[in-house]
Amino acid sequence: MKKFLSIFRISFQQEFAYKLNFVMWRIRNVMQILVFFFLWNAVFENRTGDLLGYNKEKILTYAFMLLVIRAITLSSRSVDVSGQISRGELSNFLVKPVNFFKYWITRDLSSKFLNIIFSLLEITLLLIFLKPNLFFQTSFLYVVFFIISIIVAIIIFFAISMIISFIPFWFPEIAWGSQFLFIVVVTEFLSGSFFPLDVLPMGVYKILKITPFPYLVFVPIKIYLGNLNYQEILVSLGIGTIWCFILLIIMKRIWLKGLKVYEAVGR
Amino acid sequence: MAKNSLLIWLASRSSLPLFLLGKVIRYIFYFGFLYFLVGQTKGLAGYESNQILFFTATYVLIDTLAQFFFRSVYSFRPLVISGDLDLILVKPVNALFRVLMGGPDPVDLITIPPIIAVVVYIGSLLSPSLLQIFYYILLIINGLLIATAFHVVVLSFGIITLEIDHTIMIYRDLTSMGRLPVDIYKEPLKGILTFLIPVGVMMTLPAKALMGLVNPLGIVSTLIFGIALLMLSFKFWNFALKKYSSASS
Amino acid sequence: MNKAIIVDRLTKNFDVSERQPGIKGSISSIFSPVKRKIKALNGVSFSVQPGELVGFIGPNGAGKTTTLKILSGLLFPSSGFVSVLDFDPWEKSHDFLKQISLVMGQKNQLWWDLPVIESFELNKAIYGISDRDYQKNLDELVSLLDVSKFLKTQVRKLSLGQRMKMELIAALIYKPKVLFLDEPTIGLDLVAQQNLRDFIYEYNQKNEATILLTSHNMNDLVDLARRVIVIDEGKIIFDGILEELTEKFAKEKIIKATLSSEDDIKKLDQIGFVKKYSFPEVTISVPRQTVAMAASELLQNFPVTDLTIEEVPIEDVIRKVFKGGLK
Repeated sequence: MKKFLSIFRISFQQEFAYKLNFVMWRIRNVMQILVFFFLWNAVFENRTGDLLGYNKEKILTYAFMLLVIRAITLSSRSVDVSGQISRGELSNFLVKPVNFFKYWITRDLSSKFLNIIFSLLEITLLLIFLKPNLFFQTSFLYVVFFIISIIVAIIIFFAISMIISFIPFWFPEIAWGSQFLFIVVVTEFLSGSFFPLDVLPMGVYKILKITPFPYLVFVPIKIYLGNLNYQEILVSLGIGTIWCFILLIIMKRIWLKGLKVYEAVGR
Repeated sequence: MAKNSLLIWLASRSSLPLFLLGKVIRYIFYFGFLYFLVGQTKGLAGYESNQILFFTATYVLIDTLAQFFFRSVYSFRPLVISGDLDLILVKPVNALFRVLMGGPDPVDLITIPPIIAVVVYIGSLLSPSLLQIFYYILLIINGLLIATAFHVVVLSFGIITLEIDHTIMIYRDLTSMGRLPVDIYKEPLKGILTFLIPVGVMMTLPAKALMGLVNPLGIVSTLIFGIALLMLSFKFWNFALKKYSSASS
Repeated sequence: MNKAIIVDRLTKNFDVSERQPGIKGSISSIFSPVKRKIKALNGVSFSVQPGELVGFIGPNGAGKTTTLKILSGLLFPSSGFVSVLDFDPWEKSHDFLKQISLVMGQKNQLWWDLPVIESFELNKAIYGISDRDYQKNLDELVSLLDVSKFLKTQVRKLSLGQRMKMELIAALIYKPKVLFLDEPTIGLDLVAQQNLRDFIYEYNQKNEATILLTSHNMNDLVDLARRVIVIDEGKIIFDGILEELTEKFAKEKIIKATLSSEDDIKKLDQIGFVKKYSFPEVTISVPRQTVAMAASELLQNFPVTDLTIEEVPIEDVIRKVFKGGLK
């Protein structure tokens, strides 16, 4: 335990060493939220009532929740893994008496912690400037479901991000390329960071729901907004949990295979 | 370090196809969503559906062209840090031209024709007059001049502070707000986007001109603004060169 | 435990996939990879006593680093038996990893952007060292290497030599019983090299740590290693004390003579290869077997006032080893 507290602490310090990087990443997050916010604000400008299942209050809450959820689920340090593998720095790691996955989950948590603090500050500022009417979930049960859905999201993201990071075991030169595609395609669109996925045509939405991606951002926010009934929530959490297990197993297998390859070329 | 390697990677030839693929997917998603949204809402902020789509298409066009022309900006930092910039400065070629436009990649040409086709198609749905089309092209060029000015400023900052990656990212994020007509943003953001960082002039105005929403006086003053900005950026570049302290000493 | 390290008939093969350049090449290599097998180690056997300091030498790609990597559990042997401190390294049991350390001159474990001390603190936690031991070890290592001033400095602001010292502290803070050093002095200036060597020697003496070291720096070997293992093309071709290297590999001996009057260099050349001639000193290299004959010929036919027969300097032998010119 002490081990992981230490890792948490040093990782936290490391984020501060890259202040500029971190601030930039936060600014970009805020800008993305602003575009989202103003787009929907314009959509609901001269409109009362619902559109695509959202009213103004809820869609603007969606925007604000995005900032928090992204900080919790999508911020991570484990994106560095791919680079370490392709540069052969993994060797340094393998000779240490510490579990690889526990190490990186700890580092992710430390990154998430810092990002959550900042996202809360940003939200306070945005609330002061934009003065929107927001929706607050008051049902205890929904808040509990919301928290569970976030844990599911964290696990799914960790597993997917690790699997992507293992690609350089086989193709060291596309470490960044694969990472980039993953971030652009998955985290921006399929997760619901760019727009709520249920505004899409029903067919597309249904297909998306059996993939693991909506469970990263979209589903937690939907649960928070109270847009799902108990049955829908349980189904969503069920599918999400199944994905957790599947992805974790795949992750572990690819890791072991990757280690063999890493070993075989003798980096 | 992470960020740097991303940028070096972006500039590297071999992974460009992956990068382009990501970009294409991003545009397709975004267009798909927007198309669907404005279809439902029948317009946005006083604009018709097709007009909204045209704003976005214009943004994509200018953004892609700027990236095509100025790709070598992304590999500027290693140049400064390694001291290789010296080798460029002593050559009888305009150094600014070389570091700004030195490396357009033919792979980019794959994406440009389809984007132009989309712009032409959506534009034709708005049935503009010949004069309006002329204005549009004029203002697109003007938008590219402003983009040039921005990149020159970024490079100049790079020479002075050795820091280029973050400024270019900020520039990209800010201009990406021009995906939608700047009218939808509230003050003070709207003011910033119109005057301080003229994303509105770069991205929104050309599309507005095609829709006949800009008068000739507006066109002329926009052009003067764009050229003035470019001149200023050149001045800044010369200033930066005087501050340049070679790394390879 | 009577042996710290046992290696028996160890072999290691690598699959090297060959790839055509360009996009087309990389795509086709995904579907039909062309693989070539390389024998990095081919039946290597040796053992090391606790507290011994052994130098590994050989030309590039001879298999030195591969051996160290197998011994630290990074690579899995293709065949053969390996045991370090009675552990099978590949199992990477934490009890094993806590007793060994691998330092690679070109790879660093320190946190680039943080003060050095933070990396040490992290290792303290990872290796589960008590506060008291940590403080004691740190004080000792820091004073031995004379770097107390820099503990709060960011790693990236350290010079290469300082950084290498810090790497060593990070690697030794938990007092590993076995230490694998891969090119520890690479890229360092002469003073830093000497400092590091003194330190390694002292550490070895003081802690009775078993140390295996590879290096391309012959001073590292001459200064540190009493025993050397020469490895070439995956095979051990010599294992013994350093001085015996000369007897085994130097096919020549050196005759140094002082002449009373100047003579024609061409005539001297008939005796053996004239390495150096600046009157009155002449240095001639002759085959080992004929050295006595050459010496008497020299005495008879030239105005020699003084004559000595010497072994080839050890440096020359090692240099030859690095070039792979032993056969």
